[in-house]
Amino acid sequence: MLSEPDFRAELRAWVSEKSGVEVTDHSPIFADRTLRSVHIPELLLLMERLRGTPIDVEDLRPTDFRDIDTLATRFGVRS
Amino acid sequence: MSLADSVAAVAKRLSEVSQHSYQNPYTALDWPETVDPDVDWFSSPELLSLAGTPEWDAMPEAARKRLAFYEAVNFYSLNIHGEKSLMAGLAERLYRKEMIQVADYLHHFLDEENKHSIFFGGFCTRYARVYRSRQFSVNEEEVPRDVGDFLFFAKTMIFEEIVDHYNWLQARDERLHPVARYINRNHHVEEARHLIFGRQLVTELWRTQQWDAQTVDDVRGYLAAFITSSWREYYNPDVYADAGLTDPWEAAETAWQSPAQREHRRTVTAKCLGFLASEKILPEEPVDAF
Ligand SMILES: [Fe+2]
Ligand SMILES: [Fe+2]
Repeated sequence: MLSEPDFRAELRAWVSEKSGVEVTDHSPIFADRTLRSVHIPELLLLMERLRGTPIDVEDLRPTDFRDIDTLATRFGVRS
Repeated sequence: MSLADSVAAVAKRLSEVSQHSYQNPYTALDWPETVDPDVDWFSSPELLSLAGTPEWDAMPEAARKRLAFYEAVNFYSLNIHGEKSLMAGLAERLYRKEMIQVADYLHHFLDEENKHSIFFGGFCTRYARVYRSRQFSVNEEEVPRDVGDFLFFAKTMIFEEIVDHYNWLQARDERLHPVARYINRNHHVEEARHLIFGRQLVTELWRTQQWDAQTVDDVRGYLAAFITSSWREYYNPDVYADAGLTDPWEAAETAWQSPAQREHRRTVTAKCLGFLASEKILPEEPVDAF
């Protein structure tokens, strides 16, 4: 089972790979357009794979996607 | 700005064909009470998302058929989700002054997409369920209207080109259950018209745009990401879970990365990418789709 620091590290690596931009856990990845909504299906798939359970898509809010810190708190696995 | 007469003329011709082949989706097809996914094929095995992977090679025939059934349900579901946003976008553009010359055809386009979803939804809700979509919007940035129109019709065309490849092959595949063949054939017939309209309109909107280099870059980046994202949905862990695979997310990742599947995506997208390249809309192929 993946720890929360590893979950965050995987997300940071994925975002940089997608965008070519190095990000921190507090970079506003969607507000600054490092990522766009079109990337969300892939991001959700990645997070589901890392935590090993589905994410309830009926229950998503735009604020869940503020930054990696918010994503890890909302969807990540606890260490 | 108004659309070129050539686009209006194509739309007029297509509207006439749509009127003549106007369909009642509630009487067009006799739905069997039940179907048997272990016995009948509902997708062509060569088109499945695990085809050409070691996982697939190890599967007995009944398991392959079960996967083919759930992949059909996924294919229909992603069409439903695509058609939902397509219908919303078409409705928004009905009778707008830039589109007034093609308003008649937009009515047919919208009507036909709604009917497609009735067929797709009819299958999913009778025999399985509609799979969830992972599409979600957080930053629908305000783009200028002409950029939004171009992106909307270009995305529609890309989505429909990929789908049509599957429809065209599966409509002809005699191994498939008659209902699956019917749904694919029926969709292909109407999508062929949508694609003629789409290519014409996308070409026209692109040729008349006067965007700065940054906007052109943004548009290209967006379309490339859209192609990757559209393809990702063909590798749905929910399908693999229903088909009984032990680690559905790893299965999705492995299939996505497999050489046979990369080649498959490249082949299916080739025609569409060729068009986008020839119009200089997308000079290079998307880096992470294949
Ligand atoms: Fe359709
Ligand atoms: Fe269509």
